Amino acid sequence: MDFRTLLNTKEFILLDGAMGTMIQKSGAKYDHSPETLNLTSPGLIASFHRAYVDAGADVLYTNTFGANAYKLEGSGCTVAEIIGAAVGNARSAAGGRALVALDIGPVGMLCEPAGTMTFEQAYGYFKEQIEAGGDADLIVFETMTDLLELKAAVLAAKENSDKPVIATMTFERDGRTFTGVSPAAFALTATGLGVDALGVNCSLGPDELEPVVAELTRYTDLPLVVKANAGLPDPNSNEYNILPDRFAECVQALLPCGVKIAGGCCGTTPEYIAKLGEMLSSNKYTPVPRTADSAVCSASTVVEINAPRIIGERINPTGKKIFKQALVDNNIDYILSQALVQLKGGAELLDVNVGHPEIDEKSMMVRVVKAIQSVCDAPLQIDSTKPEVLDAGLRSYSGKPIVNSVNGEEKSLSQVLPLVKKYGAAVVGLTLDENGIPKTAEGRFEIAKKIVERAEALGIDRRDVFIDCLTLTVSAEQEACRQTLEALHRVKTELGCKTVLGVSNISFGLPNRGLVNSTFLTMALEQGLDLPILNPNIEVMSGAVRAFRVLSGYDKNANDFVAAYNDAPATPAAPAAKPQQGTADLFTAVYSGLKNEGAAATKLLLEKEDAMEIVNQRLIPALDRVGADFENKKIFLPQLIQSANTAQACFDVIKSHLAKSGGAGVSKGKIILATVKGDIHDIGKNIVKTLLDNYGYTVVDLGRDVDPQLVVDTAVEQNITMVGLSALMTTTLKSMEDTIALIRRTRELQNPDGSSRVTVFVGGAVLTKDYAMKIGADYYCRDAKESVDTAKLVFGK
Amino acid sequence: MINITRVNREEALRYLGGAGEPDSRMLALLDEAEDGLLKAAKPKYLCKIVELPCEWLLRGGDIKKHLGGCEKAAVMCATLGAEVDRLIRVSQISDMPRAVVLDALAGAMIEQVCCEVDRILSEKLPESFFTYRFSPGYGDYPIEMQREYLRFLDAPRKIGLGMTESFLLTPTKSVTAVAGISSAPVPRGRRGCAVCSMQKTCAYRRKGSHCGFQNLT
Repeated sequence: MDFRTLLNTKEFILLDGAMGTMIQKSGAKYDHSPETLNLTSPGLIASFHRAYVDAGADVLYTNTFGANAYKLEGSGCTVAEIIGAAVGNARSAAGGRALVALDIGPVGMLCEPAGTMTFEQAYGYFKEQIEAGGDADLIVFETMTDLLELKAAVLAAKENSDKPVIATMTFERDGRTFTGVSPAAFALTATGLGVDALGVNCSLGPDELEPVVAELTRYTDLPLVVKANAGLPDPNSNEYNILPDRFAECVQALLPCGVKIAGGCCGTTPEYIAKLGEMLSSNKYTPVPRTADSAVCSASTVVEINAPRIIGERINPTGKKIFKQALVDNNIDYILSQALVQLKGGAELLDVNVGHPEIDEKSMMVRVVKAIQSVCDAPLQIDSTKPEVLDAGLRSYSGKPIVNSVNGEEKSLSQVLPLVKKYGAAVVGLTLDENGIPKTAEGRFEIAKKIVERAEALGIDRRDVFIDCLTLTVSAEQEACRQTLEALHRVKTELGCKTVLGVSNISFGLPNRGLVNSTFLTMALEQGLDLPILNPNIEVMSGAVRAFRVLSGYDKNANDFVAAYNDAPATPAAPAAKPQQGTADLFTAVYSGLKNEGAAATKLLLEKEDAMEIVNQRLIPALDRVGADFENKKIFLPQLIQSANTAQACFDVIKSHLAKSGGAGVSKGKIILATVKGDIHDIGKNIVKTLLDNYGYTVVDLGRDVDPQLVVDTAVEQNITMVGLSALMTTTLKSMEDTIALIRRTRELQNPDGSSRVTVFVGGAVLTKDYAMKIGADYYCRDAKESVDTAKLVFGK
Repeated sequence: MINITRVNREEALRYLGGAGEPDSRMLALLDEAEDGLLKAAKPKYLCKIVELPCEWLLRGGDIKKHLGGCEKAAVMCATLGAEVDRLIRVSQISDMPRAVVLDALAGAMIEQVCCEVDRILSEKLPESFFTYRFSPGYGDYPIEMQREYLRFLDAPRKIGLGMTESFLLTPTKSVTAVAGISSAPVPRGRRGCAVCSMQKTCAYRRKGSHCGFQNLT
């Protein structure tokens, strides 16, 4: 009988217990890792399996938890050898009485951004294991702690086999995995990816798992798996503290949460499994349907669409000059700052659109999705008109995202919906088709209905289809507003779908757009709008949503509302700097790191002084004084940075003044910065960047773990002749040397006489001046201040 | 379980340039950052005692010298957890001065966690003497040993501590180390700070160093 039939016919499925515990108890010695015993002591491993079959186990996990190419390195065995032998050992022990599950644990390296393993690398490791385990009956991923790694694993299974998949993660006492994944986010994501069952294993005893299991069941209809430890090990004897009878009792207490599959993890033995089987035989499986409303998530945060939630619209180049430039310049930090500021403004989800003709949208989408997820928890809405961009964005996303969008056109339906299904996302459905946007509410409702039907035909839950009835400009077509709202109302009440709407289009061409927008928004909310797409940093818009949530009873006791407005620091009336003392103020402001004051003082000075005069006579001297004080240990590093940030604010004022008066820019030169390949400690590089920025240089920041080739390509493409490299560890100094060597070797970066046109300056904790010279750098900079001095020297300003 | 309620600011200020007494602006930064750090940090550690000589552990001359005369060694690792890395990462975008302070405080805090492990060990083995902690990457002790430490302690699975292909620990605010355990007093240059009578007044320690480091290049 195959696993899926077993799942459908048997009341409960009994898994085996620990393999590691059996190996430890037997005292068996192994060289590299316990997986090698599959080859060296096949009989012993088979005997453990047999003991579990005799105890009643329906499914045996192979002894392959760490059998991936990364962990086996140095063992002298290949993945194929070990997994092939392991499946054979389990199969022979099963003797037709139990199924064999290919057991796969985490790779052992952390995924980006915590570590450096990419999604594709993780996928590659898992794929190799899955292909090696072709003879198993099902695939189990267990003890997972990173949601993106789990996603790579499940996709590797789905794309390289048709076997059933069980996924279990390991949660700590705080209800999260080591990397911060919540049970809810895991349940939503894994269910979306199409696993057959999901649950929890290891880490805690069954007596402590109730909160985790209860949360899982709220977010999935799937049968749950519990494979708990036998409590906690005693630190001295290493014996676990929950005995078989109690273990079975504790698991029994979890059955009402929808547990159908149970076994044991660390510390459990055949005795535990026998007791567990005994207990299960006298119980009935209770399926528990998901109770959560529509929901999307990142790895750590679930946003349930059970009240109006703002989708921030600002990560989108349309009509934004600075944003477009940021895309062209690869200025990811700018995009990230847009993400953070929107969350502060009240957005709970963020739309991400990076479509721009001058860039590779697909690779930029992946970069931006990864980068945003490394600094914020809000679920994202992947926004593109190109299916290949959606595919790439969805693949690299950790959690359950929203796709923006599908519409009623046949081509769109057939290209986008399969992606939504495959990656388990939610989707925005636009009510337009080949014939454009229907004028009437009826027409739009019909398209919405069609989209929902087509989605359901593919197995996409209508709870995951969010319909956009489209906002048209009211100054062009006054009746259109009513049609939009009526369609929205019908979608909400008749189709039972969540609704989404971009609102600011409504007021195009009218004066006082804010008033029109916020009024329209309020009207739409009253008609049942769930997901307004807007700029949350326009207070009247986010404020309208907040107020609506209070007035409609979503915001219980107005807690959120009060939190948003009560302790708002009575907008520190940015002291309109005492007019007469503009000069003294600018110096003090920069020296003391007071951003607002610095900007105000600069504005005042600009009324009577030349811009460059202010830069050269006031700003730079103030910064130099701060720098000198830092060198003389009169102030601390963060204070130096605060001052530099203040100077930046002053520069910004000057820049926009010059732009208005048509003057020349103030960039003093372009510099590439990178933390070298293999190194992930980038705070030093970022400090250097802040200072160089603040002193008026243009920095092209390539980030951390940067391939030497990327440094060279960027230098060639943008004709940049100054490069700063950072490495923190002795191990990564080699990468620094390689990068410099490649720069020197590159023809395009040489003078006609073969000498290098590029000035390389380097820094990092373990670097010394001698070593820097030895590996071919031009300058060694002890700290960020010295980097600025070097730039001044090189550019002569 | 390790619970740290105050971060060692002196140490953090030293990382930040050591400009004497912090002024009120610096203090405000420190207060706010420390608060955030203590909320984000989830200190965890693992420690296993091995009998010496232990073949896999002893690579290169310095570690052998360091553990010379010891009968056992405590192999350990500790981390502040992934959330701290994330906090520093976010701050680097929105507030660089805060990021720098957080980074320094976190550096000081992981050292405190290690000192706690030292203390727990010395409580567990009251009759024993300890050397100071020696880590992969010190002297001629290869950084590649990170891999062996993590594997031996099962660190990725047990406390979520792993490493990159270039042997950097992840999360970054983490430590792997070994301390020698001896039934006879350990010579001063190799003695652990936690059990040293000079602990409070040591000039090396004040600079964040150790008298034993003088012998390493």
